[in-house]
Amino acid sequence: MTDLNNRCDELMAIVGPEHIRTGDGDVEQYAVDGMTPKAVVFPKDTQQVSDVVTCANLKSLAVIPFGSGTKMAAGHPPKRLDMVISTARLNRMVDVDTDNLTFTVEAGVKFRDIQARLATEEDRCYLPLEDLETETEAFICSERSHSGCFMPLDPPFATSATIGGILASNSTGPRRLLYGLPRDILTGIRFVTPDGAIVGTGGKTVKNVSGYDFSKLMIGSAGSLGVLCEMTLRLLPLPERMETILVSFDSFKNTSAFVEAILDAQLLPAAVEVMNKRAFEGFKNNKSDFVPGHYAVAVALETYGEAVDRMKLEMLGIAKDFEAEDSIVFSEDGHRLFWHSMGNLQASMADRFPGMITAKLNYQISDWKNIIQFTDDTLSSNLLEYTLLCHAGNGGCTINFLLDGDDTAASERAVSTIGLLLEQTCKANGNLVVQTAPTNLKKDLPLWGKPRFDFPVMERIKNQLDPKGIMSPGCFVGGL
Amino acid sequence: MEKPELIVRLKEIVGSEHVLSSDMDLELYSYDASLDRATPDAVVLPGSTEEVSKVVTLAYKEKIPFIGRGSGTNLTGGTIPIKGGIIIHFSRMNRILEIDIPNRTATVQPGVITLDLQTHVAKLGFIYAPDPASQKVSTLGGNFGENSGGPHCLKYGVTTNHILGAEVVLDDGTVIWTGGKAQNNPGYDLTGLLVGSEGTLVIATKLILKLIRAPEAVKTMLAIYNTIEDGANTVSAIIAEGIIPATLEMMDNKVIQAVEASVHAGYPLDAAAVLIIELDGMPDGMDKKAEKISEICNRHHVREIRLAKTESERAGLWAGRKGAFGAVARLRPSYMCCDGTVPRTRLPEALAKVMEVSKKYDVPIGNVFHAGDGNLHPLIMFDERDEEEKERVLKAGSEILKICADLGGTISGEHGVGIEKLKETRLIFCEQDLEFARQIKKAFDPMDLLNPGKMIPEPETTIKTMEF
Repeated sequence: MTDLNNRCDELMAIVGPEHIRTGDGDVEQYAVDGMTPKAVVFPKDTQQVSDVVTCANLKSLAVIPFGSGTKMAAGHPPKRLDMVISTARLNRMVDVDTDNLTFTVEAGVKFRDIQARLATEEDRCYLPLEDLETETEAFICSERSHSGCFMPLDPPFATSATIGGILASNSTGPRRLLYGLPRDILTGIRFVTPDGAIVGTGGKTVKNVSGYDFSKLMIGSAGSLGVLCEMTLRLLPLPERMETILVSFDSFKNTSAFVEAILDAQLLPAAVEVMNKRAFEGFKNNKSDFVPGHYAVAVALETYGEAVDRMKLEMLGIAKDFEAEDSIVFSEDGHRLFWHSMGNLQASMADRFPGMITAKLNYQISDWKNIIQFTDDTLSSNLLEYTLLCHAGNGGCTINFLLDGDDTAASERAVSTIGLLLEQTCKANGNLVVQTAPTNLKKDLPLWGKPRFDFPVMERIKNQLDPKGIMSPGCFVGGL
Repeated sequence: MEKPELIVRLKEIVGSEHVLSSDMDLELYSYDASLDRATPDAVVLPGSTEEVSKVVTLAYKEKIPFIGRGSGTNLTGGTIPIKGGIIIHFSRMNRILEIDIPNRTATVQPGVITLDLQTHVAKLGFIYAPDPASQKVSTLGGNFGENSGGPHCLKYGVTTNHILGAEVVLDDGTVIWTGGKAQNNPGYDLTGLLVGSEGTLVIATKLILKLIRAPEAVKTMLAIYNTIEDGANTVSAIIAEGIIPATLEMMDNKVIQAVEASVHAGYPLDAAAVLIIELDGMPDGMDKKAEKISEICNRHHVREIRLAKTESERAGLWAGRKGAFGAVARLRPSYMCCDGTVPRTRLPEALAKVMEVSKKYDVPIGNVFHAGDGNLHPLIMFDERDEEEKERVLKAGSEILKICADLGGTISGEHGVGIEKLKETRLIFCEQDLEFARQIKKAFDPMDLLNPGKMIPEPETTIKTMEF
């Protein structure tokens, strides 16, 4: 602590006294798993991040990078925490090159602002701009590139998440089915290493094999290897047409038959999301009179008009073959709003259920039916309330355990079922990550799933790059 | 360990018929498709992961360098044993182990020829997308090591976007898996780091590859231009208009001439440039897209657009592109392929500057390249036996890479760094970047046994400053 006090003067000299918070009442909102940092620093650029980390490294102060804080409930509680580095002032859009379809941006820029910047003259955007404005009551980027491009990512928490946080947590959404993962979209990155060096790789070219691909290493590294500062990502032109088909079924048999049929057809949907009734009912702005059934399937269609028309026709035909209960089509605004609400499910449920645990499962794609059935059977027989969203065709699903926190018995049942879910996903060559959980339950939860064969190599990398263990100490996989 | 003893020990592991050590054999493994040469101490042809692991364990204990090798088609000296040691050649580990259609994966040994897998899965209605020009001979293990590209990478991405996992042998012979059939595993994305690491971090012994449904429809056209600028401007205009074709390939007059002399693809001999534009996907809306592309071509003074109406016409349009490198070899005995890449919008500028370099150093340069990706392949043609000319070629090549770097691009789009571009890495990396790479290397291979001397230049203090 004295070390930190001595260091605070140095930190102030780096970022300026108005950009460091140390007092009571100023730092609590940056607590991680109940551990409050002694200082929160707001560097204005990559160089300042480097100076701050260099300073921390000299005295082995523990550092955690912080964006909007939407992912901070994941991972092990930090072993120690001295300083939070906020990316709030790293908020510049460095290079918006829509002709080249690349976007270079600092880590603290909010995802919604990137999409807003890319909107057309008529404000056609990948996100529902109007609703975002009313929802956040915050300023949303008003500058427009008029390009009609978008960044092909659809992570949850789209309203508040920063691009740095999205990449650091490898946050993905249902439309990765068509557009791929953050690893497929990121072409360049600059970050500050645990010893304070500024390191960069890649750039604006979509092809680049000049050296090790550090960007892959940094995606999903959750602040354990450094502070992400600046990144270049690929853009795509906005789809000519965007529509959603939403279909409901009463049995899982029909639900899965429908999904398998459309995935086997030579069609190119952007997302095929299976949800339980509880998930559907949890979407905000859910104004339609659609009858959800026990399961609903939402299919995103984002391409040329002709292809959307054909897919819609064929898919609705298939739905009929499998006795769909109800179906509805959303276009443009309705489409954007629907997928946006889905991305916000976790956030809105967390507001209502303070004891909520969120588990993200991954497994080989052919096992999706087994996983859903196992989840339904296990959770129902344990009398648990939950929402389920499954990226069919991708091998991923997210389960929110709706716990109020006071019912300790229910929380305990949830913890033990998560162990069972992990066993199932491991059998399917996959794993499980707890994205959010009350701190007091964390010691009993497999927060990063089961360590795999490659863990010893991860350990080698972490020890090599961060020998003093100052970056997000203990938070990552296996306590790295 | 003395060399004869090493040979004996290796023979114990893989069988005596699978160790090559005669002078002639070693000579055969002293070169690849680059300009460099160096002789290994021994070549082993292991038949299994276990054998690879045992060879590596031996090398680790005896501190002998080792290099994994496929067909040796890489263009930057990646498989040249500049510090001697053992070449682990994967020619016997060439089986497709599993095609898993429900999970959309193929599991293969590293010695499988790229095209063999592609032909195999095509029969099932699937594609493995990365299609390096050398696909007829290159191996998937080599593609993994080099993160190979190819024409279709414009739409589908490069090798790294299609590798889900790998079984790899670490420096000390330990065998682990990274990634797997399920995507998005928690922890560091080691697979992503290892693809393109040019055999300097691990030796891959099995690969899990992603399969994609074959597109329902394909449309291929050839656009013919009277000036190279018009061709290049068309490329950036197509992308800027929001169309991403499956491929956008370009060839200039010098290459057209060479191609026509060898494969007779039917390109007009007096054209300054041709573009091969291919669309794929659902047929619905494709005509509209093709029309828009024609419009863009017309806006940029296209002389003629030919549309392939049949599969054989399509193969004809492609024959020239696929045979281009071979054809160029007919003009002069050797060529050097500079693999610089620029942001697509800088393409016209980059091409103009490349032609200035050609004049400045008085070396003929042909261009055949992945225009849509901004990935240039200026082929500098020369006679390797002429030392003076070779000197000029190397200078010209280096200057072209500098041009690319200065335009916001990079020194290698798909061929890697190897030893040929070690010097040029400093055009795009500062010492801190390189130091980080050295730390990664150290984490995997502290004794520097895996393909030593590649990818990362020695620290700055020990080398002379670069001159341009």
